[in-house]
Amino acid sequence: MTHRDGTQSHHRGAKTGVRRAARSRRYLAPMIRHVLLVAVAIAFLVPFYWMAISALKDNSQIFARPMQWWPNPVRWDNVLRALHYPGFPFLRFLWNSIFYAGCVSLGTVLSCAAVGYGFARLHFPGRDLLFAITVSTMLIPGIVIFIPTFVLFKYLGLLGTYAPLIVPAFLGNAFFIFLLRQFFLGVPQELSDAARVDGAGEWRIFWQIMLPLVRPALTVAAILSFIWTWHEFFGPLIYLSDRSQYPLSLGLFAFRAQHTTEWNLLMAASTLATLPLVIIFFCMQRSFLEGMTLTGIKGS
Amino acid sequence: MAVTRAQQARRGGTRRREARSGLLFVLPWLLSLLLFTTYPVLTTLYLSLTDYNIIQPPRWIGLQNYRTMFTADPAFWTSVGNSAYYALLAVPLGLAGALGLALLLNTRAQGMGVYRTIIALPVLVPPVASTIIFIAMFDPDNGLINALLQQVGLPAVGWLTDPTWSKPALILLSLWGLGASALIFLAGLQEIPPALLDAAAIDGAGPWQRFWHVTLPLLTPVILFNLVMGVISSFHIFTQALVVGGTTGKPLESTLMFMVHIYRTAFRYFAMGQAAALAVVLFLAVLVVTLVIFRSAHIWVYYEGSRGSNQ
Amino acid sequence: MSLKNQGMYGHAIDRRAFLRWLGWGGGMACLAACGTSSTPAGKGQKVIVTFWTPGGGGDFCTGLDAIARDFEQHYPSIAIAETQCGTGEQEFNEVLLARIAAGTPPDATVLWTSPAALAARGSLLPLDALMQQAHYAQAENWPPAVLASCQFAGKTYGLPVTAGSCGLWYNRDMFEHKGIPAGRDDFPRSWDELRRLSKEFTVWKGDTLQVAGFIPWHAVEDLATWSASNGSQLYDAAHRQYTIDAEPNVAMMEYAVDWLNQEYKGDFARVTRSGNWEGYEIEGRQPAFIDQRQAMFLTYSWNMGLKIFAQSASTWNIARLPVGPGGTQSVAGYWPNWLALPKGSRHVEQAFAWLDYMSGVGVQTWFRNFPDLPANLKVPRDLLPTALVDGKGKAFAQDIMNFFRDQLDSATPMWDSPVQDFATDQIRRALEQIMHKVATPRVALGEAQKACQGALDKVLQAGA
Repeated sequence: MTHRDGTQSHHRGAKTGVRRAARSRRYLAPMIRHVLLVAVAIAFLVPFYWMAISALKDNSQIFARPMQWWPNPVRWDNVLRALHYPGFPFLRFLWNSIFYAGCVSLGTVLSCAAVGYGFARLHFPGRDLLFAITVSTMLIPGIVIFIPTFVLFKYLGLLGTYAPLIVPAFLGNAFFIFLLRQFFLGVPQELSDAARVDGAGEWRIFWQIMLPLVRPALTVAAILSFIWTWHEFFGPLIYLSDRSQYPLSLGLFAFRAQHTTEWNLLMAASTLATLPLVIIFFCMQRSFLEGMTLTGIKGS
Repeated sequence: MAVTRAQQARRGGTRRREARSGLLFVLPWLLSLLLFTTYPVLTTLYLSLTDYNIIQPPRWIGLQNYRTMFTADPAFWTSVGNSAYYALLAVPLGLAGALGLALLLNTRAQGMGVYRTIIALPVLVPPVASTIIFIAMFDPDNGLINALLQQVGLPAVGWLTDPTWSKPALILLSLWGLGASALIFLAGLQEIPPALLDAAAIDGAGPWQRFWHVTLPLLTPVILFNLVMGVISSFHIFTQALVVGGTTGKPLESTLMFMVHIYRTAFRYFAMGQAAALAVVLFLAVLVVTLVIFRSAHIWVYYEGSRGSNQ
Repeated sequence: MSLKNQGMYGHAIDRRAFLRWLGWGGGMACLAACGTSSTPAGKGQKVIVTFWTPGGGGDFCTGLDAIARDFEQHYPSIAIAETQCGTGEQEFNEVLLARIAAGTPPDATVLWTSPAALAARGSLLPLDALMQQAHYAQAENWPPAVLASCQFAGKTYGLPVTAGSCGLWYNRDMFEHKGIPAGRDDFPRSWDELRRLSKEFTVWKGDTLQVAGFIPWHAVEDLATWSASNGSQLYDAAHRQYTIDAEPNVAMMEYAVDWLNQEYKGDFARVTRSGNWEGYEIEGRQPAFIDQRQAMFLTYSWNMGLKIFAQSASTWNIARLPVGPGGTQSVAGYWPNWLALPKGSRHVEQAFAWLDYMSGVGVQTWFRNFPDLPANLKVPRDLLPTALVDGKGKAFAQDIMNFFRDQLDSATPMWDSPVQDFATDQIRRALEQIMHKVATPRVALGEAQKACQGALDKVLQAGA
């Protein structure tokens, strides 16, 4: 049987011995695992649950003491009211968010994979210094440098558009460059050496051998960059000028009034803003399993 | 040691070709650094040596901002202390928690997809909403957390109204965001060749030994990543601290984090020059810590893919 | 062993597909850059004025848009662009300042930050010349103390179109229940009288404060008012001096601490946790005043328009603030919304026409939507909050409106420091320390004084 990394396995016969010894422990480990997972899942689910049921409560009941675990009465019309709230065209904002997060995610994965690979596997003068600088850029507080950056984009004439938000994503992002570089460093040297011996060019090695090998990392990069861009509101706030361009993250601020906030509508809108993410995430995380089906393991 | 054909191939003209390819691969990022990073960073450095209120031209004052920061600004030291406390607790807890979660999720069992989505949920919820939810959960009188504590027989805690417990509350909030680093660890776990684990099992290694001698070493590149990013993000914590403590870090300045101090200095007090100086100091401090971590990496990080060159 | 033999080259996507993706992605990015950029719709020959507000929620902003449409009827050559509804005070400042720095500010804006502070840094345009030609916004049409919040170095940089004034709200039912005279003129005139009266009401049930009489001053927004009613001040604009730790102010806080010790067990944290002693709903909790758990408290005029007050079951009234040992006459505080023209505003005259209209006319519609008290003297006195008329009758509503508008005449100058927000944070910190017994009034106020004066000197030096 040939495994993903090219090694061969001839040990099928010896495995039965191990299996017999482990039979009695077979059910214990998965059970403990499930108990722990359920406990953690509950802890992580509670805030989301709170948000979702607050969306269906009367405003005064959300912070009622003691806490209400189920809305009474259930106000389904909150959802409609949130969707039709003045200054909050939900579908428009949703489309803008999908467009924005999708473009950024795509650009990030493409550019950071290439750059990360360059840092990991190719030697060029100044590589280590450049990598150190890359990591250093993450140490700079964004709130301080945003004004010079903003003025820069003003001189480029790009204010009022999505360009300042999307174009830099296609040039790389220090966080994901670092991430992918770490993963590329984990791939055995023999593979790319063998390919070089075969006469393959660097690009081909990258594209056809290395990339598939770090697929889990690429998936994580795509997912995380999508999620974080979905939540990003400050960039859109300073660069966009027309309300019809706003993504959902900015749109949510429509619910924050000066004297009283309609928390239930805000929670309804937040839940609506989260659901697309949940669906997209659930679909994307399945590709984690792909790494496993290729090799047929029995659990770690 | 015999020289392999691969190593032979790397010498000579191929080395130059590799260097050129390397630069080409890295080119987009170089562009980004030159276009979007150099100018703002140099400007910030310059501004830290000026008195600048964003509107009027900067006025050169040399190192006065730095002097004020260290001698005449008590809030500086308070925020440094708060940030250090937070980082020292949040980083190890976050790392251990994320790794534990990833190990739990790393199977092909039924329903893992659902569990993974649930773990990631706090990351998917809009930050404003999640902080509001958090504040409600930690309400001292009727919040869920105190209710649970009292169920188990422990005393209720003041949480966000008590200066002693406000930072621990923020740390607990940070643990909800474990989903992201857990996912990264999970990706790292996926990369470990099962053949190695199988081979170890056959050699008689128990689950703990397999973890300690096979999984963990191969995971160290990812641990390094999450450790460095954990340190950086814990020093940059901002939105949650601002929502919870306002611009004065209530209660009693216990939630005044360094980034909040930078923020209010820039946009509430209009002292952008001072804020730039604070940003420079933050940058240098975190840089030192990061460098120490990277230096230590020589000892404990193992890269499968680069024999003969570490880091 | 060659990888080719192992068939590893087959899985990946080929170069053509990658280039296709890249082109698609790049194309999308370009579309984003060009396609979604928008310019304000041309309206023929009209001058278009861009207008921002820090926030207020969807209803508030659409309300402003409606006022803009009315304005355009009167001024056909000017069009007001759709109100840019902000994300709240802090981020708003960031964006506004960035825009001013880049030279692309809005032409006019609502401000939640003191214009005096912004003006001290050259971010706003002076309005004195424009005010002279105005219909409503002339200098003499504003209460002088309220206009002071917009002034720096002798010039005016904003208009305080709404200025909620404060009063001492008291629960008539609770007074009458105890046989205490409940007319406005019967209300305590001095701090000592107030304190004695408060004691009649305060009830503790174990560790919880069941009923409160009056909780001594602890909020930074009210402190300047209490200082003035004690004959002192926190900031002396004329001499550009902070006087936070002046003896009367130290005495004021010592008085409060003593009161806290005597009547509230000296435990401010416990008081806070026992109820909502403010004038608005916090996290779904009704104000204790509405629940008959608080006899007296200081709050502002907008409460009269809130349903829970306007249509409350209990009867209440409002009195003038009592005077401290060092004071001679009752004063009032206020909390404005300002309108201003940022530096770099493109259509100054037209934008000011909008400001002028808002001062006298627009602010009436604003008031009907949200009960922010108009400050301009030309706004008719018979403008009444609908909710209050419905709840308590027209006569009562008129009486209350008169009271609040008159309060602006005896307002004490505030919001007028070039380092306003810095001082607010410092004083808030001092108050927190005093109330939680972490520092004595003298020490805490002394620290705040040092910090504020230092910051003030720095700014004045730079601007000089």
